[in-house]
Amino acid sequence: MTRGTLVYIVQRAVLIAFTVLVVSFGVFYVVHSLPGNAFISDRLHGRALQLLLHQYGLDQPIIIQYWNWLKGAIHGDLGISLVTRGAAVTPIVMQELSVSAMVGGAALVFTVGLGLLFGVLAAIRQNTWVDYLFTTFAVIGYSVPSFVIGSLGILVFAQWLNTVTSGAVYYPLPWQGTYGGGGISTLISISLPAISIGLYTSGQITRITRASMLEVTQQDYIRTARAKGLRARVITIRHALRNALVPVMSIMPSTVLGILTGVLVIENIYGIPGLGKEFVESIFTHDYNLTVGVFTIYTVLIGVANLAVDLLYAVVDPRIRY
Amino acid sequence: MATTVISPDTDVVTEYAGGTLAREQVSLWRDGLRRLRRNKLAVIAMVFLVLLALETVVSLFWTPYDPNLVGACPTYAFPSAQHLMGCDDLGRDELSRVMVGTQVSLAVGLATAFVVLVVGVLVGLIAGYLRGWIDALISLIINIFYGVPPILPAIALYVLLGRSVQNIIIAISATAWMDMARLVRGQALSIREREYVEAARSSGSKTRKILFTHVFPNALGPIIVQATFSIPIAILTAAFLTFLGFGVPPPQADWGGIASEGLQSLQAGFDPYILLFPSIAISLTLLAFNFFGDGLRDAFDPRQKR
Amino acid sequence: MSDPVLDVKHLSTSFFTDDGEVKAVRDVSLQLYPGETLGIVGESGCGKSVTAMSVLGLVQRPGRVVAGEILFKGRDLLKVPSDELRQVRGRDIAMIFQDPLSSMNPVLRVGFQIDEAMYAHDKIPKEQVHSRDVELLKQVRVPDAVNRLRDYPHQFSGGMRQRAMIAMGLSNKPQILIADEPTTALDVTVQAQILELLRDLNQQLGTSIILITHNLGVVAGLCTRVIVMYAGEIVEEGPVEQIFEHPQHPYTWSLLRSLPRIDANRKDRLRSIEGLPPDLIDPPPGCEFSPRCPFRIERCFSEDPDLAEVAPRQHAACWVTMDRAYAEMNAGSITDTRPGAASGVRPPKDLEPSAAETAETAMQSEPEPVGADEQA
Repeated sequence: MTRGTLVYIVQRAVLIAFTVLVVSFGVFYVVHSLPGNAFISDRLHGRALQLLLHQYGLDQPIIIQYWNWLKGAIHGDLGISLVTRGAAVTPIVMQELSVSAMVGGAALVFTVGLGLLFGVLAAIRQNTWVDYLFTTFAVIGYSVPSFVIGSLGILVFAQWLNTVTSGAVYYPLPWQGTYGGGGISTLISISLPAISIGLYTSGQITRITRASMLEVTQQDYIRTARAKGLRARVITIRHALRNALVPVMSIMPSTVLGILTGVLVIENIYGIPGLGKEFVESIFTHDYNLTVGVFTIYTVLIGVANLAVDLLYAVVDPRIRY
Repeated sequence: MATTVISPDTDVVTEYAGGTLAREQVSLWRDGLRRLRRNKLAVIAMVFLVLLALETVVSLFWTPYDPNLVGACPTYAFPSAQHLMGCDDLGRDELSRVMVGTQVSLAVGLATAFVVLVVGVLVGLIAGYLRGWIDALISLIINIFYGVPPILPAIALYVLLGRSVQNIIIAISATAWMDMARLVRGQALSIREREYVEAARSSGSKTRKILFTHVFPNALGPIIVQATFSIPIAILTAAFLTFLGFGVPPPQADWGGIASEGLQSLQAGFDPYILLFPSIAISLTLLAFNFFGDGLRDAFDPRQKR
Repeated sequence: MSDPVLDVKHLSTSFFTDDGEVKAVRDVSLQLYPGETLGIVGESGCGKSVTAMSVLGLVQRPGRVVAGEILFKGRDLLKVPSDELRQVRGRDIAMIFQDPLSSMNPVLRVGFQIDEAMYAHDKIPKEQVHSRDVELLKQVRVPDAVNRLRDYPHQFSGGMRQRAMIAMGLSNKPQILIADEPTTALDVTVQAQILELLRDLNQQLGTSIILITHNLGVVAGLCTRVIVMYAGEIVEEGPVEQIFEHPQHPYTWSLLRSLPRIDANRKDRLRSIEGLPPDLIDPPPGCEFSPRCPFRIERCFSEDPDLAEVAPRQHAACWVTMDRAYAEMNAGSITDTRPGAASGVRPPKDLEPSAAETAETAMQSEPEPVGADEQA
């Protein structure tokens, strides 16, 4: 860890903080400008409604409301849910974060693993049926939206499998993973959503890995490695793939973004109690604090993830120095 | 290694290096178009897209049945000769709905691409060429939103603005132009250092003129490719939006919405046709745009050696 | 004369491209004796690198060795199982290449890459590998060896990188080191250092060296014996002093003449060989140099000469040879070296006119250069 790297991290942290500020204010403003609020119903109107609004501070100017929120947020208190009266936002969001992180993490592992594998295989068997198979698979991958795959997944695994085996084999729906827990059932529960999310970005990774490997294997140092008498597998992995990873790293930020988007959508399909589902729900129920809270956490998450990717970039390519 | 050969019909010495005959200079466009035409997959994709566009226009005036007519056929009807894609939960003809759904997708895709082209390119050119505080400001804005998945502000904006097709376009374009701006900025940064730009500058050309006669044309290749790829991304984002429930208001039908209904009916135990057909439609459309975009990129990328 | 450590017999390698079969190496035979430094010289595209790559089986698609035997330690390297060939590479026969920056993996440390060469084979015991790589870097005169091992290639200078490559090549104490244009990418001063290093290593370790280059000066500086290649064939070979002083093949002679000399008259034009190398897909019948040779005779167009002994330990593939050219064609005071100029022989009518011919007719309208003095 050089001094330059530390400086870089600090710079990025500042940028993240700034981003969170801007974005959270933006969302706050947007959400509070929405017509309607969480409390309107047939029973509650007029004076009683006004009192309730006042109690939650919703009748104050937006700037003041934001300022109050911000003061709390810095201390980690993201306010109180407007729908589930009295429930603090922060613990809810944190729990959902762990769920989303699990699903997203699994998707990330899946997408990178599959993408690299297919890309390498397609490259070393260039122009054979293997190559065409994987390349076509990759293009289809990033052309079929994740909700389609997710829905198909439900169709095949939740319904047909169940019907065909008369209930002997079934896919656990809804979500049965324990919060932060492990176990086989969690793994199975995660697998289908993770695959649905990861298939999309794995296609792009496959293509870049393949192109990159093809270019790398033409390089002189591969010739040197062969002249040294190294084994073919060693050459492919240690020399070729290691270098081929560099351009792959450059699409990592957009891959992470793609996964996050996918998590959001898939959670809503599979009923997974994560950040994505909460986000959509909170918008429908006008639960402003939750919306802002989720959005804020998302922003922090992405900022940290991008920073991690950039640092990883320097590890993969030692020519990069911060 | 240069070798020399007499071509059989002339006495002229044609010198060539490495085994490839050097032809006369062709412009980037003609060469690129020729390469594009040779790419069979891209051509098929293009044909598909043209057909899709035609179908969209047709659907504005005619569909087999009224897409919003409830009870045009028995609910959840199996696909048949009369209803090629079956019927949905309210007895509306699927085929008609899917046809109409094209309108939303293409409108969003093309309109977003237009905004991305105009706004993104302009902002990118200004930031990259003029530098200074303008660049710093623009880059700051872009970097801030770099880490936000576009679907989040899209949802927020869309809900704020109210549901309509225009607002989907606005919501998606609001962040889509940034990728283009970033790309163009990078191009402008490198192009501005080239000799012909320096020559133009020192001979007193106005900035606007330099930007549009020198910088912009030289960045055109990547710009076109990026713009082409922004279409399927926009269509996908719109599909996500409508699928999640932030759909276009009825009576307009859209693919994401139909798919979402399809999923619900699937989970309720009915056949998956309502889900499948719009899904296939979206997938094919995205596939076509991706193949076409790939073909464009392969054809116009000067680094490609075939 | 002891047995050769490497005996290449009638090697032919071709590249099968869309345009046809490019016959890059045609019926090449050479021997390398223990402890000697052999130079292979020729212009770009003459097949010298491909010959070397063929020895180690490094020729990639669409290229392929089509004929010949490569005898090393009693085995034909073209017929041994691939695993055995892999063992030979880097352990018994090592090869280093032209551009040391692109020849080293940029993401791995230099020390690791040298170690890797040793770990891949069984010759050096594992415990000794680490200490050996320090020793190797010292041997190739890289200062501060211990710390340098932890660096990445881009942190080395050009000359140091090539030394590291040499260290990598020698790590398993091979019998033969093949160096393909090792100095071409380096500054002249660094060039001299590398050559000196190679010479010292050859003398101290007894490693036979094959040096491939297009630079005659490099050959003169390092090699004891030299092979001259042209258009995929060997045209001359022999001891370095003999070749330089009494070249027998017109191509070798032209090459030596074309070297700029520091004692030449400054107003003289540089002398080049008219014409261009032939198309290897469809080589000319007869001697491949005939379209450009000033001393050609009728026979040169129809029969391709084999290597014949023209002096003790010197062979040339020529029907004429320079001895005869000096005797009969006034080669000693020649000024016009255009094809056929000295012998007055034009190609037979049924042959397609070659480019050199057209160049010749084009040149006839050009006036004789003024003041072109012949410096012998």
